Amino acid sequence: MIHRYGWGTVTALLVALLAPATFAPAALAQDTPLTVSGQVTDAETGETLPGANVRIVGTQIGTTTDVNGRYELQLTPAASLLEVTFVGYRTREVSIPEASGTITLDIRLQEDVLGIDEVVVSGLASSVKRSNLANSVETISARELAEISTPQTLDGAISGKITGGVITSNTGAPGGGIAVKLRGITTINGESQPLFIVDGVILNNDAISNGVNAVTAAAAGGNASSQDQPANRIADLNPEDVESIEILKGPSAAAIYGARASNGVVIIQTKRGNAGGGVQFSVRQSLGFTTIVNKVGTRRFTEETAVAQYGPSAPRDDATPAEIAEFQAGQQAIRDLFNRTGGSFIDYEDEFYGNAGLLSTTSLSASGGNDRTQFFVSGLIKDDEGIIENTGYEKQSARVNITHRFSSKFSADVTANYVRSTALRGLTGNDNSGTTFGVSLTATPSFIDILPNEDGTYPDHPFNTSNPFQVRDLASIEETTNRVIASGRVTYNVFQQNTQGLQAILEGGADFFNLDQDARFPEELQFYEGAGLPGQSIQGRTNNLNANIRGALVHTLSLPEPNVFFTTQAGFTAFTQDQDIVTSVGAGLVPDQFNVDLAASLQTNQQRLVQDDRAFFVQEEVNYADRVVATLGFRAERSSLNGDVDEIYFYPKASLAANLAEFPFWNVDLLDQVKLRAAFGQTGNTAAFGSKFTIFNPIAVGGGLGIIIGGQRGFPDVEPERATEIEGGFDVSGFDGRANLEFTVYRKVIDDLLLTREVEPSSGFTLETLNGGQLTNTGFEIGLSLIPVNTRAVRWVTRTNFWTNEAEVTELTVPSFRALGGGFGNTLGSIQIEEGQSPTQIIGIDDIDGDGTSDGVFVLGDAAPDFQMSFLNDITLYKNLRLTIFAHWKKGGDNLNLSELLTDLGGTSPDFDESAGERLSQLGVSARQFVQDASYLKIREIGLYYTIPDEAVGRYLPQVRGLSVGVSANNAFVFTPYKSYDPEVNNFGTQPVATGVEVTPFPSSRSFLFHISFGL
Amino acid sequence: MKILTLRAAALLLLVGSLAGCDLFTVDDESSPNGPALEDILADPSIENLSAVALGVEAASRVDLDLYLIDVGVIGREYWRTSNAEPRFTGDLLGRGTSVLDDNTFYITRPWNARYRVVRNANILLQLVESNAALENAVDRLAAEEASYARGYAKTWKAYQYLLNLNLTFENGLRFIGVREEVAGPVESYDASLAQIAALLDEGLGDLEGSASFFGTTVDITYMNRAVAARVAAYRGDFSQVLTLLADAFDVDGIGAADLGSGVAHLFSTGGGDLTNPVFFPPTNAVGDAILAHPSYANEIEEGDTRIDKVEQRLGDDGEPTVSSFDELASQFSFFRYKSVTDGVPVTRNAELVLLRAEARAQTGDLAGAIADLNTIRNAAGLADYSGASEQSAVVDEMLRQRRYELYGEGHRWVDTRRYDRLSTLPIDRQERTDRDGNVIEADDVWDRFPIPATENVGS
Repeated sequence: MIHRYGWGTVTALLVALLAPATFAPAALAQDTPLTVSGQVTDAETGETLPGANVRIVGTQIGTTTDVNGRYELQLTPAASLLEVTFVGYRTREVSIPEASGTITLDIRLQEDVLGIDEVVVSGLASSVKRSNLANSVETISARELAEISTPQTLDGAISGKITGGVITSNTGAPGGGIAVKLRGITTINGESQPLFIVDGVILNNDAISNGVNAVTAAAAGGNASSQDQPANRIADLNPEDVESIEILKGPSAAAIYGARASNGVVIIQTKRGNAGGGVQFSVRQSLGFTTIVNKVGTRRFTEETAVAQYGPSAPRDDATPAEIAEFQAGQQAIRDLFNRTGGSFIDYEDEFYGNAGLLSTTSLSASGGNDRTQFFVSGLIKDDEGIIENTGYEKQSARVNITHRFSSKFSADVTANYVRSTALRGLTGNDNSGTTFGVSLTATPSFIDILPNEDGTYPDHPFNTSNPFQVRDLASIEETTNRVIASGRVTYNVFQQNTQGLQAILEGGADFFNLDQDARFPEELQFYEGAGLPGQSIQGRTNNLNANIRGALVHTLSLPEPNVFFTTQAGFTAFTQDQDIVTSVGAGLVPDQFNVDLAASLQTNQQRLVQDDRAFFVQEEVNYADRVVATLGFRAERSSLNGDVDEIYFYPKASLAANLAEFPFWNVDLLDQVKLRAAFGQTGNTAAFGSKFTIFNPIAVGGGLGIIIGGQRGFPDVEPERATEIEGGFDVSGFDGRANLEFTVYRKVIDDLLLTREVEPSSGFTLETLNGGQLTNTGFEIGLSLIPVNTRAVRWVTRTNFWTNEAEVTELTVPSFRALGGGFGNTLGSIQIEEGQSPTQIIGIDDIDGDGTSDGVFVLGDAAPDFQMSFLNDITLYKNLRLTIFAHWKKGGDNLNLSELLTDLGGTSPDFDESAGERLSQLGVSARQFVQDASYLKIREIGLYYTIPDEAVGRYLPQVRGLSVGVSANNAFVFTPYKSYDPEVNNFGTQPVATGVEVTPFPSSRSFLFHISFGL
Repeated sequence: MKILTLRAAALLLLVGSLAGCDLFTVDDESSPNGPALEDILADPSIENLSAVALGVEAASRVDLDLYLIDVGVIGREYWRTSNAEPRFTGDLLGRGTSVLDDNTFYITRPWNARYRVVRNANILLQLVESNAALENAVDRLAAEEASYARGYAKTWKAYQYLLNLNLTFENGLRFIGVREEVAGPVESYDASLAQIAALLDEGLGDLEGSASFFGTTVDITYMNRAVAARVAAYRGDFSQVLTLLADAFDVDGIGAADLGSGVAHLFSTGGGDLTNPVFFPPTNAVGDAILAHPSYANEIEEGDTRIDKVEQRLGDDGEPTVSSFDELASQFSFFRYKSVTDGVPVTRNAELVLLRAEARAQTGDLAGAIADLNTIRNAAGLADYSGASEQSAVVDEMLRQRRYELYGEGHRWVDTRRYDRLSTLPIDRQERTDRDGNVIEADDVWDRFPIPATENVGS
């Protein structure tokens, strides 16, 4: 047991680590103490700035300003420069005048509108000024996130806002459901979503199916993937609690997060209280409504077309008189149906998707504190309806964040957040039973009447097994989450000297939720007529606990000559997940009862997931006078998901940034920052839970329980995927902080891909997992921020981002195969993984020579966009009127639109009489018609706010400050050539590769809101 | 720089010690979602053996509906009509230019499911072996129990192989050794039947004098011998059929009331259990139904009570109606199975009687054959056979009784194939011209399925 050192050894070594530093360059001779003091204020408004950091350059001596923005520092003899930093302001260095005794030095800070000097995360226990950062790290501020408009969920609030990201909403259903892919495709069968970390807690972002497949049978057909349209659990977070979001987009930035960070890391910081003065209350109310973004329309029938479409086919030439009579009776039946409504038509799209859902969000927060204790308390009540009746999303959230400084050495920070959310998402998407809303409506021509009768009954649908109005009104599919996220962090300054300091940080947290999925289908529904076991109750219960803890030591050392600053950190992290999902499907119900005990047939399924990860990390950062900043580090990690749980996987990182403008030779005064940067890093992606096991499944017979070997052969030696990224770029800013340009180019290679391959079924297995293959992503990102106008009357801030990524499967050790959730086969088009090709290529049969028969399988398109751009414009007039417009343009990228096929088959496409014949004749000949350009330009958010001057309000309401009224819109305008509701869609939910497969989704909505907010 | 070197050294030591301490250890836990294969193999307890053994029997029902649909639809016993799955009435019936595909669910799913049961049976055989090596006598099976497990595993394996061979016919079959990861090469139809017969005989040897130790309801010796007799008939060895039946069964003692007895796949609505997958409410709309082939009712003898295996379809007005789907029309629903808990026979006494009738007819004992056929006829409410008494007529009557007696149990296609009479099966859709003037070919009657493409053996 050579490895079993005790903690004693560790402590001894810790002492050894620190010891050399304690002997560090003899303390500089102390002359008579000098003192510098003064006040830090906003250069423009003159407001005092409490909490600003003031530090003597080249030393560790520093302080923060008090509630009045005042500071006082003992000077060392060598001290010549003071550095003042404060969140949201440009960093300033001020030289200390030569004097003796007490020096008074007031400092005025300029607002950092473009975020050039903001501080971002650089390690697990440290942060760095953006101007010294060697990576491109995206930051989304609270303002951009939740203050332009009122997003329903956090995931919706980041759409389009990450340069380098492809963020696709899977469904328009209330409650979210989004796929985030940063810098291309990073996995084929593994976890594809970034790691979400909120205040140090690794958040669960699972999308848990609600089991409605028992009714829709969507997975029983050509694609067995889940099509239950689940929401991601990240949606639970209240966007208004978020202070900032930082996005580490690739391994070069995220390496220190190790084996779960291949898809990037999203670090969310929630709001904290202010040190300055009394308690500030803030109240915000939004009210609005939501409507469908885009209607597809429906076919206009004549009596002839109705009979031709829905009547029986013509009898054969040799038909008997009885057969001919039957044919004629069938035709007459359709004629009767057609004339029953008196030739009037019902717009079912409007009847079904035309609900103007009310949206209401009330939020309240209080923040305050003194220089020792700060608190932030918030509450939120949201009640949103959907564009389909009986759908909607409700959320109640409460948060307490408290920061307390016990002494100059010891401080603590705790957060607690409780969320309860309820989603009624309806029954949409694909099915094989004619039961979902969308599929039902494709078979609903406008001349029939299936609207609810006045007596509360529902007519049987003549052409479909289900009347969607009946399902909408009588069935219920409800998902309720109760969730607690709590974190704690203690910081202890072990010692602090002039030139060095040591800080110990211990932080951890837990994320627990219970998800209650309750779907009820009463036995009177049309599709249960004559069924063996009418009525279904689907009860899913999930308990999930994520817990993680992190301990770190951070040592800082300043060497005045040459001016070098070292930050050394080392630490340990542990992560545990314990998930338990129990789903019971009861069929054959006692009337009006949904207790599964009362079902004639009961199927129960339990899925457990247990994960344990342990890691340690080391990082050294060397900063030479802000001119050159180099970082080296690694993380070493073990995981219970790996085949060999004792194997340690190392993830190294290295980066270098050079600030040319800081060098003495720099003489271009217009540019105050010119930085060249390069970074390298590796991350992993662990195999899905259970990949290493070959499992037996239970199966009962004759009252006894047997076990049968599973169809998937486990891979006992499974290893994590490994992503290696090199990125380089430059940042230039200047013109007095009014222009900033960032350019980044990257190459990301993923090796040891987790793949699943078919095996010869005579072995008793059909699939097995293996590591093999390679994916390569290359791309670049450009961000340009400008303040074209900055006068007292008008300030215009604009930011334009451009990004593009190209992915290729550079090696595939298994035969080409269809991506998970990548469609329904070659006839209808599918997303196919193939060596040498883009992983998102869409292939399908095609008729190349135009002879009316398929000539084989060809590449028909690609789901990946050519490029994307986003435009944020923020115009303020006289400080009070503020207009913000956020637009997002995605160029290229194809979808597989199968909704159109279903409306063609159902005879209800709006252009049926003109074009459906041509399209249907191509079915089985070419899949080209399903591959449709999913480019779009979306004006995602517009906000216009007027803040009434306090003087004007003060006359009537002296307590009220910052009274603001405004209007906003989400998805106000969508421009797209795509022939359906919204090009942002995926029937299969969040998938590693596949996206954009559309089968009668919940249509996307736009919302219009009125806002009022004020402080007290 | 000395400071830096020292710091680096200290850091490395710190990290090294962290790496070694318990805090950094991850436990190697077993799977919480079902026993892992390695854990079961490492623990050949009697409980584990019982669970694996029962799993064989239970899983033999998985995708059984697809098997019965495959053979029943091609054998023109019934049609599976489905809006969602046009290939049931397309590929299986050879509509137009449709052919049987080697990578489509109708062959891959039943084929895979049968081999999965074979794998489970092989795991059982491995466990029996390692159980015998356990130190503690109380943990070991008694010799006759171990022998039972072996006979049980071999019998089920043989039956699973036979079902797949029924599908692929002269495309052949692959056999896999007890401890093999990959199956052997494809063997011919005749060689495969011989292997299956040998496996059954080997199983019988194990079963003699053995004793069950787990809760199975299957009379495994009955199943073994009945299937062996069926295989002998498939091989055309009719004197062997007579010997097998005489040795194992009292066929003369089978009365009208006993014809249904035998071995069946059981179904229930209990938790974790399966329901009968070929039970379809006879009132189901054609979008999701099994329609009886009209020839079943059209060609049935007057007074035959087996007409109750199909059910007249009724319109909204309660009057008899003809249901049409994909240019097929029938006024009857398939109603062989009356509820979701009805069993599906593996083999039963009626088959024994019919096998003896067949073997007697083929070996020249026409009077004996007719006597056996009368047992079947009388039970169905029909008078004694009064047709011609030459061999070919008796064989015709035998096939006819097999068709009606074993309707919906997976026999007709195989029977017509081995008597080379596939060409006598009805063609429901003749060559015709569609509205656009295109000629649509007549349906086809297939004699075999391709071996699934995933076997990588070519067809």
